[in-house]
Amino acid sequence: MRHDLRNPIEPLDPGSSQFVSAASLRVRLDWFNKLRWGAAVGVLAVVLVAGVGLKAPIEVRGLLLTGVVLLLLNTVYVVRGWRFPAVDIAIEMRLVKVQMVCDLLLLTVLLHFSGGVENPLLFLYILHVIIASLLFKGREIFQIAWLAIFLFTAEVSGEYFGLLPHHHIPTASEVAHELPFTLMTLASFWLVILFSAYVGARIMSHNRAIKDELVARQSDLLDEDRAKTDFFRFVTHEIKSPVNTAQSGVETALDLIGESMVPSVRDVLERAVSRLKQATAIIRDLAELTRGGVLKEENLTVVDFNQLVTAAVDHQRETADRAGLKLNVVLPDPAVSLTTIRPMVETIVANLVNNAIRYNREGGRVSVRLVDTGKLVRLVVEDEGVGISAEEQTQVFDEFYRSAEAREKSDLGTGLGLAIVKKFVEELGGTIDLESDVGKGSTFIVVLPRKSRKNRRMKRSSGEIRP
Amino acid sequence: MAEKTILVIDDDIDLVEIIRVTLENNGYRVIDAQTGERGLAMAKEQNPDLILLDVMMGKVDEGFQVAYQLRSDEVTADTPILMLTAVTDQTGFDFDPARDKDFLPVNEFLEKPVSPRDLVDMVRKHLPTNV
Repeated sequence: MRHDLRNPIEPLDPGSSQFVSAASLRVRLDWFNKLRWGAAVGVLAVVLVAGVGLKAPIEVRGLLLTGVVLLLLNTVYVVRGWRFPAVDIAIEMRLVKVQMVCDLLLLTVLLHFSGGVENPLLFLYILHVIIASLLFKGREIFQIAWLAIFLFTAEVSGEYFGLLPHHHIPTASEVAHELPFTLMTLASFWLVILFSAYVGARIMSHNRAIKDELVARQSDLLDEDRAKTDFFRFVTHEIKSPVNTAQSGVETALDLIGESMVPSVRDVLERAVSRLKQATAIIRDLAELTRGGVLKEENLTVVDFNQLVTAAVDHQRETADRAGLKLNVVLPDPAVSLTTIRPMVETIVANLVNNAIRYNREGGRVSVRLVDTGKLVRLVVEDEGVGISAEEQTQVFDEFYRSAEAREKSDLGTGLGLAIVKKFVEELGGTIDLESDVGKGSTFIVVLPRKSRKNRRMKRSSGEIRP
Repeated sequence: MAEKTILVIDDDIDLVEIIRVTLENNGYRVIDAQTGERGLAMAKEQNPDLILLDVMMGKVDEGFQVAYQLRSDEVTADTPILMLTAVTDQTGFDFDPARDKDFLPVNEFLEKPVSPRDLVDMVRKHLPTNV
C-alpha cells in the first residue's frame, strides 16, 4: 500500500481563467511541434519526390520555400521551449495564437502553390479551427475561424479573378476558374468552419463552467478543512486544563492516602488515573496533529539523522527489554544529515519505533534501518508483530483509526500516532509506505528529502494562497 | 524555624487547591494568586521562598513576563521559580529547559499534569524542608 504524499491531486488553479495550466499547455505545444515537423518534412518529401524526382509539373520552388520556412519557424518554437520554462499561462496562450496565425498563413501559401481550391488539403483549415476551439475562448475562436475564412476566400478569389497566378496540380481537374465549383466550395468552407467554431465553443464553454464549479467547491472544501482543524485545536486547548487538573487531583489523593485505602477503592482510582493519562496522550497527539505552519525556513536545522535515530531507539530500549524484544539498528556510515525540523523527525521515528515495540509478538524483533540514497534518506522500521490486514492498511493512517489487531493488543493507544507520522512526513516533503501481513509483522518505509521543503498543497492548506 | 512559604501563581483554582494539599502535607506553607499582577504584588510583599508559576494564564506569554519581572525585582531576583507548562500550550515556540535555561529566567519546568511525587521532589531540590 503506497501513500505517495509528494503528488497529491494537483489543486485546480482558481486564479486562472484558462482551462489548462501553463505546464500542461506546454505539453500540448510540444505535441503541436511534432505535428509541424511531420508537416514540413511531408511537404519537402512530396515536392522532392514528385517535383524533382518524377518531374511532375508542380511549383517546386514555392513549395520548397514554404516547407523550409515551416521548418525554420518550428525550430524557433522548439528551441524556445527548451530555453524557457512554461511559467505564465497568458504568455503561453499568446504564443499559441501567434503560432496558429503563422500556421494558417503558411497553409494558405502552401495551398496557393498547390492548386488552391482544387487541393483537398483545404480541410486542414478545419483542423486549426477545432484546435482553436479547444484552447481559446468565445471571441478568440471566431477570430481564428474568420481568419481562416478570409485567407482561403482571398486566395481562391484572387486566383479566380486573375489577381494571383494559378498553380494547377496534376492530380486534380482544372476547376479554379469555374464559378459554380468555386462558389460551392467557398460556401461549404464558410459553413463548415463557422459551424466547427460554434460547436467547439459551446462544448468548451460547458466544460469551463464545470471547471469553475470544481474550483469553487474545492475552495469551499479547503475552507471547511481549515475550520475543522481550528475547531480541533480549540477543543484540544479547552479540554486540556480540566483533564490535567483531574489527573493531578486523583494522583494527589492516591499519593496521600492510597496506602490506607481499601484495595478495591484504590484500584478504582488507579484505573481513573490510567484513563486520564490516556486522555492526556490523546490531547498531546491532537495538539501535534493540529499545529500548523511550522515548516518555515527559520525553523530548519541541520540534524544528524544517525544520532537522532540512535537517541530515539535508546529512549525506548528499556520498554523493548521489558517486553523481551530484540532491538536492532543499522545505520549508514558516514552518518547522514538532514536539513529539517528536528522535533517532527523525532516524533516520526519515536512513533514508528513505539508502534513496532507495542504491537510486536513476545520475544520478537524490531529492526530500524537508515539508508542514505543520495538525495533522499530512507528509514525502515520493521516488526514481527500482529500485522495489519490488507483492508485496514488504507485506514491505519486515519485519525483515531485503530486496527482490530491493535485494539486487541493494547487498550490505551490514542489512534493518532500514525496520523501524526503521516502528517509530519507529508509536511517535510516525504513519502510513507506500509507493507504488512497479518501475523507476520509490518514494515513502515519513510523516505525523506535531505532538505525539507514546503509543497504546494501545504501552502494552500495553511491559507497562504487564497483564491 | 518557620516553615518555608511557596507562592503558587495559577488561574486554575482547582489545581491551586490540589497543589496546596500536596505541599502543605509536606511541610510547606502555601499562598496563591490567580493573576500575574496579583502574583507579582504578593511576591514583593511576602517574599516567598519559592514560586510556582503557570506558563500561560490570561495571555500566551503572561507567565514568562511575570518571570522576567520577578527576576528584575531585587526582592525576588534570587527566588527559585518553577514553571508549570502544559503539553499543548501554544506559546509560539517550543522551549527546551536543557537548551533554553540560559535565557529563560526560571529554574525548572514542570509539565502538567503534575504528579504529586514529581512536584514534591522538585520543590525539595530547590527548597529543603528544615524539619
